[in-house]
Formats: sequence, structure tokens, C-alpha cells
Amino acid sequence: MGAIGLAGIVLLSSNVTRDLKLLNSASSDNVQWTLSQAEVEFLEFQMHLSESTTEPVPDLKVLRREFDIFYSRINTLGQASIYASLRDLPEFSRNLRIVQTFLDRSISAIDASDPDLILALPDLLERTNAVRPNVRKLANSGLNYFALDSDQRRSSISVTLTQLAAGVTFLMLVLVFLAAYLGRLNAQNVKRRAEAIEAGARMNIVTDTALDAVIVSDAQGRILVFNAAAEQMFGHKSEDAIGSDLGQLIVPDHHLAAHEAGMQRVRTGGPRNVVGKGRIKLEAKRANGDIFPVEFAIQAASTDEGEIFIAFLRDISQRVLSERELVVARDRALAGEKAKTDFLATMSHEIRTPLNGLLGNLTLLRDTRLSAKQARYIKNMDTSGKLLMSHISDVLDITKYDAGKLRLRPVVMNFSDLLQDIIDNQSGAALANDTTLEWGWTGDRTDWIRADRDRIQHILMNVIGNAVKFTRNGRVLVNTEVANDPAVGPILQITVSDTGIGMDANLQAQIFDDFMTGDSSYDRDVGGTGLGLGIAQRFVKALGGTITVESEKGKGSTFAIHLPIEPVAPPTAVQDQRATQANARPSDILLVEDNEINRVVAREMLLSAGHKVTEAHNGQIAVDLAQGHRFDLILMDISMPVLDGRGATRAIRTGTGASASTPIVALTANAMADEQEAFLSDGMNDILTKPLSREGLMRVIANQVVSGKQTSGAAGEGAGAVAFAYLDDLRDTLGVDALAKLLARYATEVADTIAYLQDHAHHTTEEIAQRAHRIAGSSAALGAVDLRAALIAVETAAKADDTAKMVQAIDQLPAVWSATRPQMSAERRGSTRES
Amino acid sequence: MLRHLTHATAALALSALPLFAQDLAAPEGDVILTVSGQIATTNVDNTAQFDLDMLEELDATTFETSTIWSEGTHTFQGVSLKVLADRLGITGETLRATAINDYAVDIPLTDAVEGGPIVAYKMDDATMSVRDKGPLWIVYPYDSDAAYRSEVIYSRSIWQLDRIEALD
Repeated sequence: MGAIGLAGIVLLSSNVTRDLKLLNSASSDNVQWTLSQAEVEFLEFQMHLSESTTEPVPDLKVLRREFDIFYSRINTLGQASIYASLRDLPEFSRNLRIVQTFLDRSISAIDASDPDLILALPDLLERTNAVRPNVRKLANSGLNYFALDSDQRRSSISVTLTQLAAGVTFLMLVLVFLAAYLGRLNAQNVKRRAEAIEAGARMNIVTDTALDAVIVSDAQGRILVFNAAAEQMFGHKSEDAIGSDLGQLIVPDHHLAAHEAGMQRVRTGGPRNVVGKGRIKLEAKRANGDIFPVEFAIQAASTDEGEIFIAFLRDISQRVLSERELVVARDRALAGEKAKTDFLATMSHEIRTPLNGLLGNLTLLRDTRLSAKQARYIKNMDTSGKLLMSHISDVLDITKYDAGKLRLRPVVMNFSDLLQDIIDNQSGAALANDTTLEWGWTGDRTDWIRADRDRIQHILMNVIGNAVKFTRNGRVLVNTEVANDPAVGPILQITVSDTGIGMDANLQAQIFDDFMTGDSSYDRDVGGTGLGLGIAQRFVKALGGTITVESEKGKGSTFAIHLPIEPVAPPTAVQDQRATQANARPSDILLVEDNEINRVVAREMLLSAGHKVTEAHNGQIAVDLAQGHRFDLILMDISMPVLDGRGATRAIRTGTGASASTPIVALTANAMADEQEAFLSDGMNDILTKPLSREGLMRVIANQVVSGKQTSGAAGEGAGAVAFAYLDDLRDTLGVDALAKLLARYATEVADTIAYLQDHAHHTTEEIAQRAHRIAGSSAALGAVDLRAALIAVETAAKADDTAKMVQAIDQLPAVWSATRPQMSAERRGSTRES
Repeated sequence: MLRHLTHATAALALSALPLFAQDLAAPEGDVILTVSGQIATTNVDNTAQFDLDMLEELDATTFETSTIWSEGTHTFQGVSLKVLADRLGITGETLRATAINDYAVDIPLTDAVEGGPIVAYKMDDATMSVRDKGPLWIVYPYDSDAAYRSEVIYSRSIWQLDRIEALD
């Protein structure tokens, strides 16, 4: 803007200069004067001429000079360039021509001799008088012109000057604006400078009062700033430190080479390993030569004097010391924790083994002739022993959970069956307390789920058991419901409400804590380690659920358990465990157990159930026995001398002995999930947890011996003699009546075939194979899978002409058929356990 | 008093500058220029009188220039005012130039410089009659310097010149 204003002023100034120059150069040469002069000179000539005509001796010389002067003037007016525009005026040029004509005509008379001139004077005077008005007009017309011309010039100058004034005014405004702007800039600069000075002062204060040592150096490593904290840390005075070399001053000798290399790298623009890389721990050197650990950060900054480096250093001697102590303390604590866990695990095992012996012998003792009193004492001892066992299990569970070793074993299970079992189990206790115990579904039932059956059982047993324990003359209601949470999926909600003694708020807050026992007045009655709910809560958490309690003292408590579940379709084959127990036939069992008492207990239980028992007291003996004899079942302890249970199992399974495919069931007090999986992967078919119970033993025998099939080890999931899917399909296709007829015909055929086969002496092996094959096909179509397998065994043996094996297979058939037949019903079967 | 001083100055000038004290011959033809006043060299009474021949004997200067009083450019020949002033030992500060018709103008002596005005006696190689602004015309070299194209200079360009008086 200023530039534009200036340019405008320069232009206008040049206009003014031009105008002034025009005025100066004055091409007019005082033209008005010249024109007047022409008239004056004419009048002088006329006057002199007039005098000459009257005088006797006229002064002709003067007359001629007057004429010449006037002539010269008119000549000038006629020729001079400055009068060119004047000559363009018609009035002026006309009169000029008249005057010039007059002069030209007069020249001959003027230039003539004196006497001739005198004679011509009267005539000259007459013509001069005649031309006078023209001379007058000549002068006037010129005067008018120049008056106009000068008016025009004046106005032109006036316009230029006005423009100049405007331009100057504008420039002044611009200058005022610029002045204001510069004033503001200046004020800003002054302010900034003050701020910079203040910031500098503040920075100095900050640096000096900083708790960390602050050292600033240039790229050469020369120290520029050494604050108070640095003085204290390194023991150098600031005035000594400033200007000296950073490396020599504070870098320990063994780091000096690396430091110099680093500085050199920085100077040559190489990669920066330290600058701007955050906190770094290294060692530094004090004035007295002590080496100590420091933590520092270095930042680079560009200044007018080149790059500088700002280092913030902290003496971390104390911290390093503390960290070291902490690490030692932690290691010690970890070692202690591990020792504790190991101790607990070991103790648990060491306690369980003799306890197993005790409980087993009690079971055997119960089967002997006892007086009523003795029987009651034994029952009490059994109860105490089992309680002790459950306490040990509790402690072990907590140890496992807290060590993070609790592993879930989800299986397909019927939740309703499980709950019914628990209710049945607790109903005796409830009855003793005059309490009604009920359960039921709200909304749709969800029986079949995939979940960790053992954990859920433990949780419910605990919570329901507690409710029963703390309720007298009341009611315990277990309500189950499946709610759908859009985020998580289906949630099983189990609510256990009782009308018992309830809890105050204080107790509620602690109820899930370990070693928390309830009302002391009941303690005598109910006892407990106080770990039950603590474990229940751990299991609930492990299953991804929650457990909460609401209670009012004297009114009762409500425990709400929410568990995410995975509903599954009912398995196609369902085998009732109690039914298979009934079907268990006398079996040939190999019992492998190193502990003599446990072995005796198990042996007695098996013998009393009518089984044949062969004993082995270590894994190697078991492998040898299994090599030469085909057992129906092998019960295998895990921890044994010479060869443990797992090794023995692997040896049997990988060998070609008679019992290579015999079901093997692990006997273990060690129920950790990951180990159980390992057992199964070794080739074991199931796991029986010690202490052995008669029920558990019978169940597993029934499962393994009758089915002869490998199970996943889950108690709730049994393999059936009948695959019901086939029957279901047929029923859907044929209808119940047609299926009933079909099944009746099939039953007749099977009975005939068994009779035919038992009469094998009268048939060729080929006939036997054909007959067995035919019925095996019918059996497959109807889902009688066990019978089919047995028939195929007959067929295979017959085809191989192995009469002994064939006879053995034929002998199996009646038992298999009797197990299969009751299940081959045309009607849709119902769950035997639904309530 | 003034006269004494003038004489003294003149005497001083004469003794100090003998070069300029050369005698000026008396004119033989018609006198066309009379210089009077503060001059060191004279020939008739206290004046220096020139005829055309005497002027032509002085160092001549010739230049070509246009003028506002004529058409086109013309060649003027004459005596440089500086040469004339030097020759006559003019000591005044102002030259009062007067024309035949008694038109008079003051020319400061500072105008008398080399390359400056001349007392022209020839235009285009011909002497000038009174009818052609003759016989003498003070002409500045208007074309050579814009400074010579001002109203003041034009007014000093006196023609039909016949007298110069050197004044203090």
C-alpha cells in the first residue's frame, strides 16, 4: 500500500515537475510583451513618419531604423515557432498577412534614396495610418489567445496540484497507518523481548531449583550449564564445570570410549542412539571418583551458536538398591509360595492314601456281622472320614485354583438329572431338619448342556447343602431358569432360597471369604472348614459366572448363581447307569495297586460283587499278566514303583498282548484336570477317583465291561447298546404300529439266529458267517449297534475258520441281546430321570 | 569615493593583468557595439567601441541551434560573451545589454562561460540586418542545455544589440 502511494506521489510529482518546467522554459517569452512591443514599435514608426512629413529636413536614418525594428518584430511573429499556434488563429494570421503586405510594399520606398523617400513620405504615412487598426487587432487577438492559454495552463496545473494534494493526503494516511502498524509491531517486539527475558530468567530458576541434575553442553562436549542439583550430585562446582569437557568430568573411564564415539557420531550427523531416545540408565562418575547409577534423558536443541544438548540426570543409586532388594524379596516370596503349594499337594496326597485305607476297611467292616451299636459307630466313623476327605479336597481345590491350575472338563450332561441327584442326596438331611426341599424349572427346561459337571455339582452341593444345614422347620426352594443374554448367550440362573437363620450384613459381606464359618451357635451342629463357599465362588468364577447372596437375619437367605451355558442336543444314545449296573455280569478283572490296604479293599469290593480278581502290585507285573491273559477290565493305580500306571497303560496298549484292547480305568487320588487328560491320552478309558466307593466301582465296571467301549471318562455320558436315532427315523417314517411289527419280527429273527448259531456244530462256518452277516445288517438298520458288533465278531471269526473265537463270540450273544432287547421299543422313550 | 575606488580597482587590474591591458584599436568602420562601465580595456573615451571587423578578429564561436523566434535550426557565429568579458577585463557582476530600440536586459556575468552565450554577428554565414534582428544578437546554445530553455534566458537573448554596460 505504501509502495502504491509512493508510486502515485512519484507520478504526480513528475507531472508537477513537468508543469513547473513548462512554466520555467516559458516558451512564450513574455509573448504579450512582444505583441504590445510590436504595436509600440509601429506607433513609434508612425509618429516619426508623421513628424517627417511636416519637418523640412526629416531624420530619415531614424525613420529607417524604426521601420527595420518594426519589420524585424513582424518577421519574428511570422516565423518564430512559439507563435505557430498563434498563427493558427484566423484573426491573427489575417491581420499578420495585411501588416506583412504593408511592410513588403513599403520596403522599396524605405530603401530608396533620401529624396525619393521624402517624396514618398505622404503616401507611406497614408498607408501606415490605414494599416494601424490591423496592427492593433494583431496585438489584441494574440493577447486574447494567451489569456485563454494561460488560463488553461493554470487550470491544468491546478488539477495536477489537486491530484498531488490528494496523493499526498493518501500517502500521509498510508504513512499514518504504517506508523501505527510499526508502532504495534514494535510494541509486540518489546513485549516478546520482555517475555523472552522473563522466560529466560524463569528457565534459570527452574534449572537451578530442579531436583534433577541439568547439564547443557555444545556439540564439542563443552559444558554450558551445570545446575545446583548437578553440583550436588557430581561434587563439582558450577564455575569449574562450565567450559570443561563433559566426558572427562562425569563419564566413568570404562564408558569414555563409547561416549567419545557417540559424540563423534552426533557431530558427523550419524545415527543418534541416546539423544531424544527417552530415559536411559547408565553409570556416572562423581568428583571423588565414585561410580554410581544414573537415569538420564538427553534432548537436542538448535541455537544460534549451533546445536546444544540438554541432559537431565537422576541419581538412582537408592532405587537400584531398592529394586535389587525387592527382587530378592520377591524371589524369596515366590520360593515360599511354591514350597507351600508343594507342601499342600504332598500332604494332601499323603493324607488321602491312608484315609482311603481307613474308609475302605470301614466299608468292608460294615459288610461283616455287626451289632446295631457297632453299625452306628461305623457309620459315624464313615461320616467323619468322608468329611475329612472332603476338607482335604477343599484345601487342594483352593490351592489349585489359586495356583491357576484349575482346568475345566466340560462334558455333555443332563442338568436336571444332576440337580435331582443333589436334591435326593440332601433330602435326608432336610427331612431330619423338618424342612421341605423342592426344585423346579421356571420357563422352558434346558436339560442337556455341555459344562463341567463335577464343578457344578460341587457348587450346588455346597450352596444347597448350606441352605439345608441352616434351615430348621422351613423350606428350601431351588429354582432354575435359562435366560438369554444377547451379549453372552444363554445364562443358567439357579436360585437357592431358604427360610433359615439368615445372615446379618456383616456376615454377608464375608460369606465368600475363606475359612468363614457361620453362626457359632450352629457350628457345633454343622461344622465345616469354612472353605465351602470360598471354593464354590472360585468354581463359579472359573466357569465364567457369578454368585451373589441376599439375606436377612432370621428370615432366610437367597443365593443366586448365574452360569453361562452351552445347550446341546440330547445325545442319540442314552444309557441308564443304574440299568447297566444291573446288567453287569461277573467279569475277569486285573487290579493293579501298590498300596496293600487299598488293594485289599478294592479286591474285597470286587469279589463281593461276584467278579474274578487278579492282583498286581506294580505296573510291570500288570503288563506281564495282561500279555498272556485277556481280562475284561484293568483297574490301574497311577503312582507305583517299578512302572507307574501311565507307563503300564501305554505298554499294554502298544503291545499285542491278549489284553491290548481291554478297558483300563485309572485309580487316582490326584484329580487334577490336566493329569486326567493325560491319562486318557495314554489310552485309559475312564478315571476313578480314590477313595474308592462301591457305587463308583460298580458303575465303572458296568460301563466298561458291558459296553466295552471307550468313553470320554465323563460319568454322565454313556455309550448305549442301542443308537436310538435309527429307531427314531423309522418311527417317523413308518409310524409306531408298523415299527412295533417290525421290531417283533426282528426279535423273533434274532432269537432264531442265536439258537441257530448256538447249534454251530451242525452248520458250516460259511453258513454261520452268512447268517450272522444278515442279522448284523438288520441290527444296523434298527440301531442295535452292540448286537451288530457281536454278530460281526462271529462273522469275522467264522470266515477266518477260527472256531474257538467264533464259539466265544457266539457265547457273548445272549448277554448282548438281553441288554439290547428291552431298549428296542416302538414307543418314544421318555427320560427315566425327569421329574 | 566610489569613483576613486573604481579607478583604483581599474589600475590594480591593469597592473595585475597586463595580458588584458592590451590596447584596443580604434574602430574604423561603423561602430556596432559600445561596451562601457567596469571594463579595464577601452579605446574611445571610457568605452570600448567595436566595428564588425574588430569583433571578427576576436576568437569566434560557432554553434548550431534552434530558437523559439525562428523556424528550424540555424548556425550562429559570434564572440563568446566570456571571450569578450576576458578581452575587456570586465570586473562588474552584471552586464546591462541594450538594443537599438532601447530594450534593455541585465545579464549576470556568471552567464559568461565557455559553451555559453555568444554575441552573434552572423547567422547562417551571413551578417544580420536590423530587419533580421541584427546587427548583433546574444544567442544562447538553447539546444545544448535545457537550462538555456527558460523564460529568463529567452529574455536575456536580446537582439538588435548595440550597447553593453558592465555594472557592479
